[in-house]
Amino acid sequence: MIGREREAGFVGKTTVLIRKDMRVESRGRETLLPMMMFAFTVTLLLAFTLPGGPIGGQAMRLPMGTLPASDVLAGFLWVTVLFAGLIGAARTFEVEREDGALEALLLVPMDRSGLFIAKALVNLTYVVALQLVLVPTFSLLFDLSLARHMGSILAVVALVDIGFVIVATTFAALAARTRSRELLLPILSLPALVPIFIAAVELTSAIFAGEPTGAVAGTGWFGVLIAFDVIFGIASTITFEFVLD
Amino acid sequence: MIELRGLTVAFGRTVAVNDLTLDIDQGVCGVFGQNGSGKSTLLRCVAGLLRPARGLIAIDGDPVNLSDEAFRRQVGFAGHEPGLYRRLTVMENLRLFGSLYGVGATRIDEVVANLDLARFSDTRVEALSAGTRRRAAVARALLHEPRILLLDEPYANVDEDAAELISSAVRPWRSNGRVALIATHGAKKVKAFANAGLILRDGRSVMHGRYDRPDTADASR
Repeated sequence: MIGREREAGFVGKTTVLIRKDMRVESRGRETLLPMMMFAFTVTLLLAFTLPGGPIGGQAMRLPMGTLPASDVLAGFLWVTVLFAGLIGAARTFEVEREDGALEALLLVPMDRSGLFIAKALVNLTYVVALQLVLVPTFSLLFDLSLARHMGSILAVVALVDIGFVIVATTFAALAARTRSRELLLPILSLPALVPIFIAAVELTSAIFAGEPTGAVAGTGWFGVLIAFDVIFGIASTITFEFVLD
Repeated sequence: MIELRGLTVAFGRTVAVNDLTLDIDQGVCGVFGQNGSGKSTLLRCVAGLLRPARGLIAIDGDPVNLSDEAFRRQVGFAGHEPGLYRRLTVMENLRLFGSLYGVGATRIDEVVANLDLARFSDTRVEALSAGTRRRAAVARALLHEPRILLLDEPYANVDEDAAELISSAVRPWRSNGRVALIATHGAKKVKAFANAGLILRDGRSVMHGRYDRPDTADASR
């Protein structure tokens, strides 16, 4: 064969796909920008709506009763991440759908799990970039002292993000070749994401309330997150081939 | 080489390919027919991108299976859409698919030169004219020198000079145990170098035969 060179392996091809997605995003800015805009708008609205000042142990009076402020803020933080993340996830295969590149990619001789890992890592990059802006902004606006709990918050964010992108990427692939994909993605993924976001809110609330790291780590919610990530990670990697077909 | 046995594809109540049975030997085969005759559907089925409702497609006796990496390696497909990333340049697209197929820079340069794409190497696909985009799509499909080359309307929006470039690039598929199926309305362009032709009407074969062996040409259905 003319010009045939040593074919890249699994890691090489996966890296090529990640670089491609990053290059496309750097030129189009069609994924990260709307995610950021959504998160910024929600945070700004919350800053005007919720009372300011230190919230450790504080209670918030809401129409349905009094709630610890840490619960309310943890809920708002993760709801913002969830919906901003879904905006990004909905675009996971859009670059492939444009001009039929998805079919060209489906014919490439590579393990489909490489495509899944590439897409999941790209989505993870977007969600992490979002949180690099969102979490410090939340911390500033609502006077959360997160510096003392940096380890706990990083662990929670990492575990939730991994589980989130695994589920979102899998269902984005499932919806990619359907006409009603924008509708299908949230319908399919939101029920699957409920356990992980409940765990996220419970753990983050404890951190916001200033509970010591040991107490946060001792809750069963960390176990839920780890189990979710491992089970969905393995299942998605194995089944991605069939999901795309 | 390609065997179709009772191939039937339906989209809802519309039958696109209807109980098609034929053998396609090595070489370039033109697939002709009016709009809606089943040309594109046939090519997508052979590529494994579409599952038939009934029937079998086999390559050298092995059923077409998109899950099979070895099968995917043999296929080059350019459909109605170019199958390129519009925000990447022509060269970035070819290098991307080159990396995924293990194709080196020499072959990429050769394909670019053969299809006269050098001037557009650094142009993003979204900025290309429809005809140049078509040529880039053909370049992408034949980059890895697939055994089975499937081109759907490669001459659409392409001027005479560019059409000749495409025909020249496909000519090597006339021999060496490879097959190229070219679905087109431009029968004249393909007949000029094809080994065989297939005419479809309403999803059925009305004529299938070889130009290089006129005595075997017959109406198969």
